Amino acid sequence: MAQVHLRNVVKKYGQLQVVHGINLEIEDNEFVVLVGPSGCGKSTTLRMIAGLEDISGGEVGIGDRVVNDLPPRSRNISMVFQNYALYPHMTVRENLGFSLKIAKRPEAEIEQAVDEAAGILSLTEYLDRKPGALSGGQRQRVAMGRAIVRHPDVFLFDEPLSNLDAKLRTQMRTEIKKLHQKVKSTIVYVTHDQVEAMTLADRIVIMRDGHIEQVGTPLEVFEKPANTFVATFIGSPPMNLLDGQVQSGKIALDGGPSVSIPEQSRGKVQDGQAVILGFRADNLMPVGHSMPMPGEHSELGMTVNLSEPLGTETLLFGTLAGKEVQAKMLHPRPVAPGERLEFQLDLTRCHLFDAKTQQSLG
Amino acid sequence: MTRFRLPTWFVLLLPAIIVLVAVVLIPLVLSLYSSFTPYRLTRPESLYKWIGTFNYEKAVKSAHFWAAFGRTVLLLTIALNLEMLMGLGLALLVNRVTYGQRALRTLMMFPMMFSPVLVGFQFKFIFNDNVGLVNNALQSLGLTDVAIPWLVDGKLAFMSILAAEMWSSTSVFAILILAGLFAVPRDPIEAAKVDGCTPWQSFRHITLPYIMPFIYIALAIRSLDVARAYDIVQIMTNGGPARRTELLWTMIGRTGYVDAKMGYANAMGYISIFLAIFFTIYFFRKLNAARTELGMAG
Amino acid sequence: MNENLIHRLKGHVLKVLHLFALFIAMSIICIPGLWVVLNSFRPTVEIMAKPPVWIPNDLSLDHYRAMFGAAGEGGVPVLQYFTNSLIISLTSTIIAILVGMAGGYAFARFKFRGKAGIFIGIMITRAVPGVSLSLPLFIVMAKTGLIDTHLGLILVYIALNVPFTIWLIDGFFRQVPVDLAEAAEIDGCTRWQAFWKVEFPVARAGIASAGIFAFLTSWNEYALASQLTRSTFSKTMPVGLRDFTSEFTINWGGMCALAVLMIIPALILTFIVQKHLISGLTFGGVKG
Repeated sequence: MAQVHLRNVVKKYGQLQVVHGINLEIEDNEFVVLVGPSGCGKSTTLRMIAGLEDISGGEVGIGDRVVNDLPPRSRNISMVFQNYALYPHMTVRENLGFSLKIAKRPEAEIEQAVDEAAGILSLTEYLDRKPGALSGGQRQRVAMGRAIVRHPDVFLFDEPLSNLDAKLRTQMRTEIKKLHQKVKSTIVYVTHDQVEAMTLADRIVIMRDGHIEQVGTPLEVFEKPANTFVATFIGSPPMNLLDGQVQSGKIALDGGPSVSIPEQSRGKVQDGQAVILGFRADNLMPVGHSMPMPGEHSELGMTVNLSEPLGTETLLFGTLAGKEVQAKMLHPRPVAPGERLEFQLDLTRCHLFDAKTQQSLG
Repeated sequence: MTRFRLPTWFVLLLPAIIVLVAVVLIPLVLSLYSSFTPYRLTRPESLYKWIGTFNYEKAVKSAHFWAAFGRTVLLLTIALNLEMLMGLGLALLVNRVTYGQRALRTLMMFPMMFSPVLVGFQFKFIFNDNVGLVNNALQSLGLTDVAIPWLVDGKLAFMSILAAEMWSSTSVFAILILAGLFAVPRDPIEAAKVDGCTPWQSFRHITLPYIMPFIYIALAIRSLDVARAYDIVQIMTNGGPARRTELLWTMIGRTGYVDAKMGYANAMGYISIFLAIFFTIYFFRKLNAARTELGMAG
Repeated sequence: MNENLIHRLKGHVLKVLHLFALFIAMSIICIPGLWVVLNSFRPTVEIMAKPPVWIPNDLSLDHYRAMFGAAGEGGVPVLQYFTNSLIISLTSTIIAILVGMAGGYAFARFKFRGKAGIFIGIMITRAVPGVSLSLPLFIVMAKTGLIDTHLGLILVYIALNVPFTIWLIDGFFRQVPVDLAEAAEIDGCTRWQAFWKVEFPVARAGIASAGIFAFLTSWNEYALASQLTRSTFSKTMPVGLRDFTSEFTINWGGMCALAVLMIIPALILTFIVQKHLISGLTFGGVKG
């Protein structure tokens, strides 16, 4: 078991720098998810930990060893790949036992480890098939099994669920979570899917353009996004962002109504400062169809352009301060396009960002 | 009214079949017939005299024939294996290059553009004992002061021919195996690295099974074409001196055209055809097996 | 730290070894060929000099001038051979491609009994050694008067090239999705139109490279041509090379110049199609 550390890690391809000096400490047995849009450098970072990419600068360590120049085989890691990367010419059994065979472990030990992994992942009846004869979910499990049998210091997952259909993905997500509870070990997991990140992670690392934007527990990054990027990336639907200006103790939304400054941001803004007001759909609800809002709230009217009934709630789309805004309606009733409704905005749950730096002001 | 129509696939294949029947099959039938006659070009009436399997018996009893047969099989086996290994090595070397790989690939195809007959002349020149490149170089470097009789000594001539043949055909293997290396998915190789494989182990257990079909394609293509070696040998030594490098093909050529014993030459020709067909079918079978192994068939 | 250092050093050593091996391999590949090119510019005296002249000091175009001159170098009618080669190779290639296209399409798009057998059967005709085939062909052609004619050699080369063009073109057509032709037929094309308007253009580059492969085979063929041609009227360049040899001497300089003339078109063509050639050969084979 081991912790992993990255210090000022840089990756360059020729002149092009794709990872800009990342710092990250991962604890023993921690489940860390690197999340971000494609091209943000998350996979590259993972592959540098694995030893599949050269490290252009900085230091990568596993346990108490610096591993910068060590080949993957000397790092005692295992990895689950996006396309499963199963060996097509070997049976499931041979796939699972391959790493132990390479390590010249005794037959009996290999057999036992394979059976154990197959048991955990319910693959026992497929052991003698070749990967070509398995379904996507089964292949995925074989890939995970192959990682388990080695009892590595660190598990690395590179978008392992992105090739599965939606239903299977949810199911496998649960299995990975269970797996982590069963096989205690450090996991670094890369995904572009924020739901996956939220549900799996002990800590989430949100990346963009080769920088880390925020590190925190799922709730922290959801409740206290460090900047507008994190605010829109985490949570579904994405956070509504409206441009405005601080004017005499209130926020005047561009071309729209004014609302009070959220409590946590008071004293951190100056008159005339350009700001961005952020709130989630859950915090903008029509009067009479909302949750009780015990704290401070503003009321504003908005015309509904489109409604998406989801059953227990309905998602409403309207325009506010020149931007499209999403709101939620509890105990829904049919809403016709063009209908104007009064909405309540829960100010205690609003976020304020500086328009220039896009950083949080709260 | 139903009118019988030939199936479309058959109509499409018909031109190919007609040409092959006319140019390959009919002459082969003729040569099969003439191999049972004492046919000589100079005596046309001998074509109608049936002598049964006399020519075949004569060949089978001839020590010269068996020497040539053995030498041919030996040359083919050594040449194909060495070309395959060298081609594999070359492909691996080029595959590791990241900068300027296209240029190297083109360079690698250079020998493929040389007509085998030209290769023959070229290496006859290079291995010339008096003014050849090899002896000149060896002498200039002071490694030897005698003229090594590359094309005169039996063993050396065999090696010289082998060198020429390999120079001309290793590229075919290298190119095809390189294509195979490109087609190997990156993931399993990386998975193997993470699974603890040394570079040699990941080559042995992952890369090699993947490129096996390509190796067999190369072997199949080469075995279809293997008699091209005739051009090289005919020019370099023409089986000589004193039959020391005689191959089946040079023997057939001389018996047929110089000695004008067509019947006898055709009998030996048939034996050489079966040899070639044996090699071809063998490699096609191996190819299918390797494909099934990877689940690529179908 | 030490562990990291060892691995880094190992990496450097491997890199150097790799470059060294690559250099040696490439030298072996290039030198014999370049030697021919170099000698075509040197007077025969210098080529044959003893002790050898390593650094050429007398480069000239004499051999080329003589080659294209009225009588040809050493009386070898190079231009006539060049024309023969060109006519024979081009005609046989075009016909072989048409025949091969029909055959390749049949293999790529139709299912029928004995397909694998027929395929191997066609391939095996290619495995018949040239010498063995040339004997009976010589007899047949002598009887039909085709010997020593362009037409005779063209026919032979078509047959020689058809198996391989079928293999290659089969592979290329298989890379064209079946839906494409079906979509065209739904859009109102006949099968024939669908082929020419949709499938053929997509596979065109591949077919072109199959053509160049066939061209090179004809261009370089020797075993059959050497027996089926007799006079300058039909001799091709590979056969012509032998004109530079006499009983005891060989005109190396002149031969090298002819060799360069043979190589240049091959060089250009191969360069153009190398990519398609490789994918065609391997795709046709690997995907069964």
